[in-house]
Amino acid sequence: MFFRMVRGTFKRQWKKMLMIALTVALGASIATAMLNVMLDVGDKINEELKTYGSNITVVPQSEAVISSLYDVEGGDAQAEYLPEEKIGELLTIFWANNITDFSPETDVTVTLNGEEVRLVGTWFNHHLEFVKKGTTYQRDTGIINLRSWWDVEQGEWLNEQASQAENAAMVGAALAKRQNISAGDTLTVSAGGKSETLNVVGVYESGDDEDNGIYTTLPAAQRLTGSEGLFKKIEVSAITSPEDELAVKAARNPSLLSGDEYDLWYCTAYVSSICFQIQEAIPEASATAVRQIADSEGKILEKTELLMSLITLLSLLGATLGISNLVTSGVMERSQELALLKAVGAKNGQVTVLVLTEIMLTSIFGAAVGYFMGYAFAQIIGQTVFAASIEMSGMAAFLVAVLIIAVTLVGSIPAIRTLLRLRPSEVLHGGH
Amino acid sequence: MNKKRRMFIRMIVASLVRRRSRMIVALLAIIVEATILSGLVMIYYDVPRQMSAQFRSYGANIIFTPAGEAAISPDALARSVGAFADAELEGYTPYRYENSKIHNMPVTLAGVTFDTVLKTSPYWLVNGDLPTKDGETLVGAKMAESLGIKQGDTVSAIHSFEITEGMDTSAIPSYEIYTDPETGETYCDHALDLTVTGILETGGSEEDYLYVSLPDLTYLTLEERGYDIVEVSVAAMQDALKNYVETVNGQSTGISAKLVKRVTASESTVLTKLQSLVFIVTAVVLVLTMICVATTMTAVIAERRREIGLRKALGAYNSSIVGEFMSEGLLLGGVGGILGSVLGYAFAQVISMNVFSSSITFRPLLIPVTIAASVLVTGLACLIPIKSAVEVDPALVLKGE
Repeated sequence: MFFRMVRGTFKRQWKKMLMIALTVALGASIATAMLNVMLDVGDKINEELKTYGSNITVVPQSEAVISSLYDVEGGDAQAEYLPEEKIGELLTIFWANNITDFSPETDVTVTLNGEEVRLVGTWFNHHLEFVKKGTTYQRDTGIINLRSWWDVEQGEWLNEQASQAENAAMVGAALAKRQNISAGDTLTVSAGGKSETLNVVGVYESGDDEDNGIYTTLPAAQRLTGSEGLFKKIEVSAITSPEDELAVKAARNPSLLSGDEYDLWYCTAYVSSICFQIQEAIPEASATAVRQIADSEGKILEKTELLMSLITLLSLLGATLGISNLVTSGVMERSQELALLKAVGAKNGQVTVLVLTEIMLTSIFGAAVGYFMGYAFAQIIGQTVFAASIEMSGMAAFLVAVLIIAVTLVGSIPAIRTLLRLRPSEVLHGGH
Repeated sequence: MNKKRRMFIRMIVASLVRRRSRMIVALLAIIVEATILSGLVMIYYDVPRQMSAQFRSYGANIIFTPAGEAAISPDALARSVGAFADAELEGYTPYRYENSKIHNMPVTLAGVTFDTVLKTSPYWLVNGDLPTKDGETLVGAKMAESLGIKQGDTVSAIHSFEITEGMDTSAIPSYEIYTDPETGETYCDHALDLTVTGILETGGSEEDYLYVSLPDLTYLTLEERGYDIVEVSVAAMQDALKNYVETVNGQSTGISAKLVKRVTASESTVLTKLQSLVFIVTAVVLVLTMICVATTMTAVIAERRREIGLRKALGAYNSSIVGEFMSEGLLLGGVGGILGSVLGYAFAQVISMNVFSSSITFRPLLIPVTIAASVLVTGLACLIPIKSAVEVDPALVLKGE
């Protein structure tokens, strides 16, 4: 009998029920879209902030033995190096997936037509393969992504995969202007009795000191410094979480943390824990955060996340009010029907359960439709703004479900109670 | 005519009062829509300004360097800085670099103004304190490590130079002056005692210097020389920054201004993304809430089919019914719009204070826009159900089918 009554309502009043379902669907879609965007916005903005360049630098530890082992003849005697085969260790750390780009470099002061110029050998679009314990790690990386603000004025970016790329070079705009160098030229640079012939493939403008320098491939710089298989520094760009109290505490000295704190710190992508893990992977290196980048990233992320969560709150509030409004008016409309049920002897409890079941079924249907609409809206936002899809989180789905059920109950129960308090005869007579 | 109008108004008022619970439902929906419209749009317009201030934590975005050989004079700097709007200029810090020796090790001293340096380099992490008076120094972490000094230590910086004829040496203690026995030239090892107040950590090349006050550097070198570089932090978008750079370069004060491309180019990329994020979120939420308002209005009107039928049975014209119901809807839209725009402003203010700790710019134009949008949405939402209601045969409606 109960189910027949419920079915009857949906059959007879499908238009009204559809209206309620539609409103619930709209509300649920706002909630779904906003919650998912909010939960993912940190990662997305973080990726955008990668345009500021690397936030971690890895250099040899000053007391490292390497410097004495590989004391370089002709180059500067103080130079300290790291072995190239260690770079791949970066891909093995816990937060390896958060490392977006990295590039080793070796710099040397060279003489070019009588002028002293800083030459940097590095990776541009390097394909790295690293085998450790039978697992092969692969990554395409280099400074093309780490110098996103460079304008290539002439020629193009150096392509390491091209033939004869090893002696290719890019020249800073200020230097190119001063020495009248353009793309296609050949330069001869010398340092410490060694010399290299470089083919200029591009001229870049960076807006800082690098405008006075030359960028070439790592092997070319290694030959100039006589440090084959070695490099001086790695720039690392990693997606990090904003710093909080724990991170500040850990940054002073990780060994002062309690066991639980240490685990939490180690498994959170703080810049300090990533630095720590890099040092674990490459013991002879010292990794430090570039505060100008790391610090600012944290601040901007925090502000963006706060802004988005408040906007989300506003939209959730709007969605909730919209739904509870319509649920209430949907129940109120049925005063005559409820009065009739009571007049023929239905108990208050029975009427309440009946109406609640109907409303709940409608809401759940609406919420399910709304979730998929919200998914679509979230993807539209992600694609338009970040050209990347928004990750759908299980937490958002759970929150939306709880929200919709709560709103439906809050919207319908007071209305049902009001109706039940009315005298059936008055309602049926039409006096109301 | 007058009577008719009075009746019309009485009917609308009576309908709003009698059915107040339903009307409140509709009004609430409209207020929410108007709040979201005015609040989010206000935030959308304010995001670049507010976020731009946050991006200043990346530090200086314009650099002044000497155009020629001569250093930047304080007068020229004052003139160039005058080109910036006060509200946008976060701060500027002049730097003067001098080579010196500590414990016989060559070091670079950087003379700065300590009260402005955190404005142009907010990311500096000072373990200890910034120097507050002359004779104090802030030491970069790498430099402190290689010199083996820590906070509270006192070091002596030595500046060596040749004393030429006509130079005023009255301020130099006699024991600092010596003569090279081979060449007969007179030299001076002028000393400056510095107390280390703090160690500077940045993770960058700043850690290689010792920072002292500009008067200290003048004392040490016995020479007032101007500045080698000036860092300027301006809270403005890239185009405005470019204009400033051109203005300063056009002043021909011997200063060459340059954009720090790494900071400015990236900032405009990220800010554009952020603003378009708020824009599209606003658009999606607005469209959805407007549909919500429309469904609510449709429900409110649809439940009054009996009333419409009764009026028609009593001889009311379709046009007068439509007119009356529409006025009701538009009145609700207007009232909701007014309340919503006030609430929206309040909400935007709350967000702005919480997120950016600064108040939001009030945009008066948004109030009429919000009200107009609410009236329009409500009007459109009423039109369809009313139209379908008046077309129904009154007898059928009254019979209850």
